[in-house]
Amino acid sequence: MPRIPTLVDNVEANQSREIFWDKDVYDLELERIFARSWLFLGHESLLPKPGDFITTYMAEDKVILSHQQDGSFRAFINSCTHRGNQICHADSGNAKAFVCNYHGWVFGQDGSLVDVPLETRCYHGQLDKEQLGAKHVRVETYKGFIFGCGDADAPGLEEYLGEFRWYLDTIWEGAGGGLELLGPPMKSILACNWKVPTENFVGDGYHVGWTHAGALLGIGGELAGLAGNRADIPFEDLGYQFTTRHGHGFGVINNAAAAIHVKRDGWAKYLADTRAEVGRKFGPEREELYVGHWNCSIFPSCSFLYGTNTFKVWHPRGPHEIEVWTYTMVPRDADAETKNSIQREASRSFGTAGTLESDDGENMSSATHVNRGTITRDGRIDSSMGVGFEGPHPIFPGIVGSSFIGETSHRGFYRFWKEMLDAPDWKTVKANDDTWDSIFTNRDYWSDKIDAAE
Amino acid sequence: MSVKQTLAGLDVQSAIEMHYRAEVRLLQNGQYREWLTEMVDEDIHYWMPIYEQRLIRDRRPDPTPDDAAIYNDDYGELKQRVERLYSGTVWMEDPPSKIRYFVSNVEAFHAGDGEFDVFSNLAIYRNRRQLEMTVHTLGREDKLRQVGDGFKVFRRKLILDARVTQDKNLYFFC
Repeated sequence: MPRIPTLVDNVEANQSREIFWDKDVYDLELERIFARSWLFLGHESLLPKPGDFITTYMAEDKVILSHQQDGSFRAFINSCTHRGNQICHADSGNAKAFVCNYHGWVFGQDGSLVDVPLETRCYHGQLDKEQLGAKHVRVETYKGFIFGCGDADAPGLEEYLGEFRWYLDTIWEGAGGGLELLGPPMKSILACNWKVPTENFVGDGYHVGWTHAGALLGIGGELAGLAGNRADIPFEDLGYQFTTRHGHGFGVINNAAAAIHVKRDGWAKYLADTRAEVGRKFGPEREELYVGHWNCSIFPSCSFLYGTNTFKVWHPRGPHEIEVWTYTMVPRDADAETKNSIQREASRSFGTAGTLESDDGENMSSATHVNRGTITRDGRIDSSMGVGFEGPHPIFPGIVGSSFIGETSHRGFYRFWKEMLDAPDWKTVKANDDTWDSIFTNRDYWSDKIDAAE
Repeated sequence: MSVKQTLAGLDVQSAIEMHYRAEVRLLQNGQYREWLTEMVDEDIHYWMPIYEQRLIRDRRPDPTPDDAAIYNDDYGELKQRVERLYSGTVWMEDPPSKIRYFVSNVEAFHAGDGEFDVFSNLAIYRNRRQLEMTVHTLGREDKLRQVGDGFKVFRRKLILDARVTQDKNLYFFC
């Protein structure tokens, strides 16, 4: 097993290639990252009624997310407590109870064991059903988005999202209605390490013009100028990158929310009609973010593009493979036609057959599998773009990079990834709360820049 | 599907099978513009819905074009997908993939006014790079109309058998 301190070098801004390949690193990720972080499970809109359920994953653990009679949500491991068989094989549905196929044990909507066939005759009154409920995970909801966590000592979801909520509120609450997800998800297998798409979404504005050159030319409009990196665009005026305490981050291209959508009348009108209210509630900086296009990842493995409105979960399946789930985000209070149009455009661009998605998968897979080579793997990969052109900002929380093309949020993602792998427990992580951003050393970057502009 | 539908008859059946062979040849040759122009009508709805795995007792209806879909394209949208492949900047198709189509179980029925309902099965093999090989099986429900001495498709519903696509994307025509 490689020594952990060499996996990520926060000062030189590079990583060992082992992070995309090594099985021991992956096993440690399952233990120290996926089993201790808040993982996206679903959205209230996907299971609106009591009894509704969906089955999903928390990393490689199968879970059932279930809407309770009292309106709350519970999640439990999709495995019978008798001999371990998977309890539910449907993607979603509405169920009074879940019956295991193997011996017929019956679990209630809340995961409790409610009935056992032949109980009196075979168990002689000795079965303690209360102790044999399905294993629960913690469930918390933020603005309709439901997350689960397998660690009793982890902070609550709000603390885990932390100052990133300042940004999320801009869109997850918006003018008032907030966002919901439309399913069912597209699902596909991609032969890549889970961090490759996560880092791509958290902050890779750089690849857009090159990887997606063909698609951007076809779409035309604002982003066609990026195609092939030919246009001379003043990147520092076009947007920012952000990273926060727990590795969540995003890049934003200003005024480009709907730019990937070809048919966008309804969505563009919705944004135009609601932006003033967002400005009134959240201030001018967040009104600007509201009409920008975001490429975003919530640590560890949930990503979305706000504006394009595709929403992804990268479920890891070993170090070299993921299962990609793709939903669409839409404003809850938009009319049906607008929601439908957003869903179609999001799927056309970033669904399983998406005009842009199809460009990305190839890169993600080859960036992983090339590391099969021993000589190759004994090397580093670089994420130093824009080091020093970033720092704390008088208004925006976290660390802010000077351009949407940069690697500030990559550095923030891997900084926290390393912190989680190194830390034996959440107490150790919390001890770094006041010093986490010290790797971003140009503390005066924004104050100097703002002074110079004035 | 009703068993009472009227079979299109051997001549039409045979002509439609010939048409499908020619369609496969164009797609396998990468002649996407010719395929679109010659074989797809301008009122096309090209649709690949998402089918969830649901319990038999689940009474929710099948997906409609208002639901999530992998393809849900009109002619202009299909044309945009075709043109992307001619941009010279689709790196994953350079060197190009090899793709083979196997169309079988073709059943053609009269639908009136020179139109036909045609059901078929598809097996698609895609070979890429050195070792990548993927297989997709689909059911296909077409509506064809006679145009000149050939046919054009104006409704195409593609029913994927796999819930989880075992490929990096489904960006190919079928």
